[in-house]
This record gives sequence, structure tokens and C-alpha cells, in this order.
Amino acid sequence: MDIASTYGLPEIALQLLVGLSRSMILFIIAAGLSLILGVLRVPNIAHGSLYMIGAFAAYTVNTVIGGAAGFWLSLILAPLFVALLSLIAERALFCHLYEREHLMLLLFTFSLMLILGDMVKLLWGVDYKSVTAPNVLKGALMIFGLPFPRYNLFLLIIGPIVGFGLWLFVSKTRIGKISKAASVDRMMVGALGINVSWVFCTAFVIGCFLAGLGGALVAPTMGITLGMDHTIIMEAFLIVVIGGLGNIWGALVGALIFGITHSLGVMLLPQFAIIFPYLAVVIVLIIWPRGLLKSVW
Amino acid sequence: MLRVDNLINSFGDFKAVDGANLTVKEGEIVAVIGPNGAGKTTLFNLITGHLRPDSGRISFKGEDISGLPPYTICKKGIARSFQLLNIFPRLTVFENVQVAVLSQHNRSLNLFSPARNMLIEETNRILENVGLLDKAHEIAGAFSHGDQKILEIAIALGNEPEFLILDEPTAGMSPEETTATMGLVKRLTVEQGLTLLFCEHDIDIVFSTADRIMVMQQGKTISEGTPDEVRQNEQVQQAYIGGD
Amino acid sequence: MFKGMIHKKTALALVAILLVMLILPHMIPRFYVYLIASILVMALLAMSLNLVVGFGGLFQFHHGVFFGVGAYAVALLLTKTTLPKWICFISAPFVAALAGLIIGLICIRLSKLYFAMIQISLGSLLWALAFRWYGFTGGDDGIHGIPIPSAMSGVSNSYYFILIIFVLCIIALFFILKSPFGSTLQAARDNAQRCEAIGVFVKRHQLFGIIIASFFAGVAGVLFVVLEGSVFPDLLFWVLSLEILIMCLLGGWFTFAGPIIGAALMLSLRTFIGIHTEYWTLILGIILALLIFFLPQGVWGYFQEKWTLRKEAVAERGQ
Repeated sequence: MDIASTYGLPEIALQLLVGLSRSMILFIIAAGLSLILGVLRVPNIAHGSLYMIGAFAAYTVNTVIGGAAGFWLSLILAPLFVALLSLIAERALFCHLYEREHLMLLLFTFSLMLILGDMVKLLWGVDYKSVTAPNVLKGALMIFGLPFPRYNLFLLIIGPIVGFGLWLFVSKTRIGKISKAASVDRMMVGALGINVSWVFCTAFVIGCFLAGLGGALVAPTMGITLGMDHTIIMEAFLIVVIGGLGNIWGALVGALIFGITHSLGVMLLPQFAIIFPYLAVVIVLIIWPRGLLKSVW
Repeated sequence: MLRVDNLINSFGDFKAVDGANLTVKEGEIVAVIGPNGAGKTTLFNLITGHLRPDSGRISFKGEDISGLPPYTICKKGIARSFQLLNIFPRLTVFENVQVAVLSQHNRSLNLFSPARNMLIEETNRILENVGLLDKAHEIAGAFSHGDQKILEIAIALGNEPEFLILDEPTAGMSPEETTATMGLVKRLTVEQGLTLLFCEHDIDIVFSTADRIMVMQQGKTISEGTPDEVRQNEQVQQAYIGGD
Repeated sequence: MFKGMIHKKTALALVAILLVMLILPHMIPRFYVYLIASILVMALLAMSLNLVVGFGGLFQFHHGVFFGVGAYAVALLLTKTTLPKWICFISAPFVAALAGLIIGLICIRLSKLYFAMIQISLGSLLWALAFRWYGFTGGDDGIHGIPIPSAMSGVSNSYYFILIIFVLCIIALFFILKSPFGSTLQAARDNAQRCEAIGVFVKRHQLFGIIIASFFAGVAGVLFVVLEGSVFPDLLFWVLSLEILIMCLLGGWFTFAGPIIGAALMLSLRTFIGIHTEYWTLILGIILALLIFFLPQGVWGYFQEKWTLRKEAVAERGQ
């Protein structure tokens, strides 16, 4: 099928922009996952559940406080709630398991996912929830003479901000530098007399914060529902893998590939749109089995 | 039998082996010595295909084997042991050796006949030869260090090699164990008509066991010859023996 | 044939269990017969996984795909073609093995987590296809009302069919594990480098392991279709793959019978807890977490350890 005959250039550009804004949410979530994977070597399957909890928490903040203030606060409070939750999980459970093999850690995070999934069901029930964006972000802007949702524009702005913040954290703060070093050579960091356990904890909490932030950001764009953790975690993992395990910029590249191939798919074969990103992942992995950017381990 | 010509291998900027030369004739016992980090283990890994050389040539019985994968090289008759313990810890001692024997007889992909009735005699003969027969059904991972080192040699023998490479066969052993092990190695070499290439820290053992010695320093071969020749070589004296 | 491979007592016990299982449908309500049949299906799937994970040491994280491929293959062959039914049933496991070959060839170049991740992405691709291709696979509805020959439809008939195939497969898996192939696979798990040094082409060996495991997973998929008469994309979803990993963990990785115990425990827990509460996954999660903390060798593995210790103690006292 010829794209240009069905769509004009503006439509294509706009569709790509939508894909790009979707990439931003994926990037935020995958960057968190990648940070945890790089520093702790834990493939955290519960990451998707934390994202879901972020979305539900954002819903609660929005209903309790309401209005524009509720929305803006939810972007801070929901991720903080998730971070707190992850702090408890890390100190109470995870930190005792770091020496176990990958398989055990993976299954352990899976058990967390099962537990958290049902906790959400207990706390928020099984109904769909929805969050409305404040008026500033409602409606659409005209770009190339076509309507482009303001909220997607907002996502396009927030993504780079988070990326910049993460870059500041990793390259400018002491703990960030230590995390980075720990992901390359954890023995060395331990040998330098740095409390590795504390570094791990910080990286884990920040990674989970990002999952919560992703959930809060996604809340106004879709129905908040049980099971939203299942697909996102798979996508986030694949993004991390094609980007290079543990490499935060790899997460960005991976997210861009994922989002853009998806919007290409929407234009080419709408019914099979979800297949396109998976296909892209497979192609990337066949050519670059260890991911596009240098992986840290 | 084995010929190594001007072999070079580097990890990044570091040249672990930088021009190694070695000739081993059939039936000889040859030792490689050199200070820590001289590239002995890397040289062995290059010969057995665990590493690929950047340049240079390794030939075995006149055939170029450089860059072939380990399993192919093994099938050509070169077996080895490793410096660090390298056994199959969850299998029994018998199974450890049997896996090698099965591989040697090309039975590894056999799916439907029970392995426990297969090649028992061959396996037991090897175990008897190294003195592990009475422990055949113990789990290898629970063995003492010395027995595990012996088991490693037994695994290498399972491939019925013509050419045996031992990387520090006595590392970590007590002096008594060391003497016993070297005696065993020498007896096996003679009995089975093996050609032996080994490296060892204990200089006395090397000079009393080897027919010829190759000395490495910083990845280079600096001398090759009989123990007497090597002992008299000035470069060697400077670099190794009289280094301090 | 079994000479020296299993104890006489064990053999007698197994025959007794088999006899009980043969008369079971006449003794207990249909619901339990159905439950046992589904346990057998999942147990076969978990055992095929354990061949590559427990004994092969591979990170086979998306084994459910081969189960799903087998199930979809037989479902599509039965509904879309006019081939004789027995050909449909026999060819489905080979389709699964072919999927194992293709996915395995791509994954095997890498190890550990990379292996797992590529497998998951390839599996997700298949899942997405099945999920969306309404015209062919029925999309997220799946395929229902698959025409099963009457000789194996109905709870009791399907139970017997599943039991027979299950027993045959278990015997085959047992022989494979005890064969030279099996011991070499375990050797490669313990120490791949050493295994190459004794002349084994480890990657090829592991690839064969994946193909064999996929074949048996495909058989389990066929049995699933026989029992349920339907397929749906969840069979290919990664959650199922993790569930069967849990069954292996629950029973014990390095034991032969562990996955059967694991599947039985998991499915019975799900059924009986599921009657009382809708928060079944919460309980499963807690059980799993406790298991990882306190019993990483699995239930069956734990008992095996106990027995070996007791045997040793008895032997020592004897001396």
C-alpha cells in the first residue's frame, strides 16, 4: 500500500508526531526499567504493575483534589506514592535476594506483579477509571492545518525534560555516578567502600518513580484498567533490549523505534498495527543481537 | 606434531600473546613457563580454540587449526584441562568422564538408548587409571580440590587424545599431592603414548619432568630448548630465574 | 528396557498410580476428572520446559509459545483443512518443533537474559499475530467448537486419550534425559566451556534440546485442544510462560517429576482457592514469594533432599 496516496504529507507528519509522543511515555517507563536492570541486574516484571498503580493513584488524586490542581499534583504525588511502595518492597524483600540467580529474581518480581495486581483490584475495584486533563491540555492545536491533541504536545515536552533530569542524575550527582559505575563493575564499587546496598536502593526507587510517572502521564489518554500492566511491561522490556540492556539512552532509541513503527503500522495496516513494533524489535535483534547502543553488561 | 608460528592475540590494547612460537614433537613432554601474566593460559586457549588468534598460525599434524572452534579441535585429538576448576559439578564422577567418552565416540546426540549402559568399560578404565574408580558414583561438586583436579585430567583422557594440554595441573595442591599428580601424569603419558604440553609454576617440577621447555615473557617466546639450554639462556636468567 | 534405571519399588508404585488413574473416571465426579486431565496437560508442558531450563540451563522464558503454536496448529488444521484428522493431530507437534527450530536458531546465538529477551520478543510477535489476525486465527476471540473426533471428546474419553499420550511422552522424556544426549545436555548446563573442550558442539546440542522441548510442548498444546475444544491468544501470551516456569520452580528444577507436582499443586490451588475468593493471584503471588525465600529447590526437590539425607543416615547407622 502506498502511504502517500492514502495520506497527505501533513497527515503522515502528524501521525508520526502522535507516535513520537507515545514514545515519550514508553521512554519514561523503559528508562526506569533500564536503570534498575543496569544497576541491580534485576529484570523487574513488577515494573508494569507500578506503572498501573501510578495511573490508579493519579486517578485517586484527581478525584480527591479535582480540577487542574488535582491533575498537576497527581503528576507528583502518584509517582511519589509508587516510589514509597518500591522503597518498602526493596528494603523488606528485594535486598535479601540480590545474590540469587536471574531466574529466581525474575520469578520473584513476577510474584510481586501478581500480588500488586490483586492489591489494585482490592483497592480500586474492577471498573474502568478515567482522568480528564486540565483545560489547558484539552482539545487540539492546529499543526500543518490539521488538529493535533494538546495533550500529546504536552507529552512531547515532558519527555525531553525527564530525559534531561535523568541525564543530570546519572552524570552530575554523586549517587548517579556511583550507580553508573556499579552497573559497569559492581565488585569495584563495593571494593571502594561504598555502601552498594544503598546505591541499589536509590536506583530502584528512582526507576520505580519513573514507572509511576509514566502511569500518571498516561492516565488522561486511556481508560485506567486492570491488566494494563501486562502489555506495557512487555513493551518496556523489548525497548530496553533493543536499546541495550541497562543503557538509558538505549531506552530512548528503543522507545522511538517502538512508537514510530507503531504509528507507521497504524497508517499502513491498522488492523496489524501492534505487530509492527514487535517486528521491528525482531529485525533489530537479528542484526544487532545485543541491542543498538552499548549495553552495560 | 604441534607447531605455533608467531601467534598474536590481543584484548583491546593489551597484547596477551605477542609473537609466541612453539614446536612439540610426537611423544615429547613440553612445558611452558613464564611469570604470571606472560600469556601461558591465553596461548593454551588459542591452541584449543577457546580464543581466536589475531594473526599467526597453529598447525596440528600438518593441518592448520587456527581459529577452529574448540569442539572441532578436540575431535582432532587435542584434549585439555583448565587452570581453574572446570568440571561438571552436578554430575557424578562417572558421568563427568562418560560425557567425554560419549562425545569421543560420537554418541552425544543419541536420544533413545540409556546412557548408563554405554561405554562403561572405557569410562571405568580411565577412572581406574587415575585412581578414582572407588569414588565413581559420588557427586563431583562435593569432591576435594585435589580429587577435582585429577578428575579434570580424567575428563580430558575421556577424549582419547593424542595430544594432552594441562594448564597448571597441580595448582592449589599440597607438595605431596603435587608429586603424586605429576607422577600420575608422567605415567599416563608414557603408558598411553601421549604427547604432553603443560604449564606449571613449580620450576623444579618443570625441569625434572619436561623434555623441552618454552619460556614466555610478556606474550613473547624468549627461549625454547632442553632444560639445560634454557637454564643457560641469558635472557631467561635475566627475565625469569635471576629476575631479582 | 527399564533395567537398572528405576527402582523396583518405584516401578511398582508407578504401575499402581497408573491403575488408579485408569479407573478414576468411574469413581469421582466429572469435574475432578476434568481437573486431573488439565493437570496432565500442564504437567507435560512444564516437563518439556524443565528439559531445557532445569536440565539444559537455558533461559527458555517464553516456552508457552510452542504450546500455543501446537494448539493453534491443530485447531487451524482441523477447522480450515479437509485433511484426515489423525494427520492434523500428528503434524501439530511437528509444527511446534519447527517453531522451536526457527526461534531457537535466532535465540541460541546469545545466552542468558539476551536469549530470554529475544525469545520473548519473537513470541510476542506470534501472540500479536494471533491476537489481531481475525480472518485467520479468530483474533482475540480465538477459535471455538473445534471438531474433535468423538473417540476423544467428552470428559471421560478425552481424559483417557490425554492419559495415554501423557504416559507415552513421560516415558520418552525419561529416556531422553537418561540418554547420552541427556547427560551431555546436563554437562553443558553445568559447564558449557568444558563441554566444548571435550568435543561437544554445545549450541547445536542446546538447539536440539529446544526443538525436542518444543515438540513436547506442541503435544501438550494438542492435548489442550482435545480437552477444551478451543484456542485463544492467551495461550501464546508471556504470562502463561511464566506460570509454567513457576510450576517447575514449585516442584523443583533438577528433578524429573518436580514439574508434575508443581502443575498439580498450582492447578488444584487455583481451582480450590478460586472457589472461595477472586483474589487467587494474590495468594499465588504470596506462595511464590515464600517459596523463593524459603524453598528454592521446590517441593519435590525438598522431599528428595530429605530422602537422600535419611538414606545416608540409615546407611551410616548400618555401618
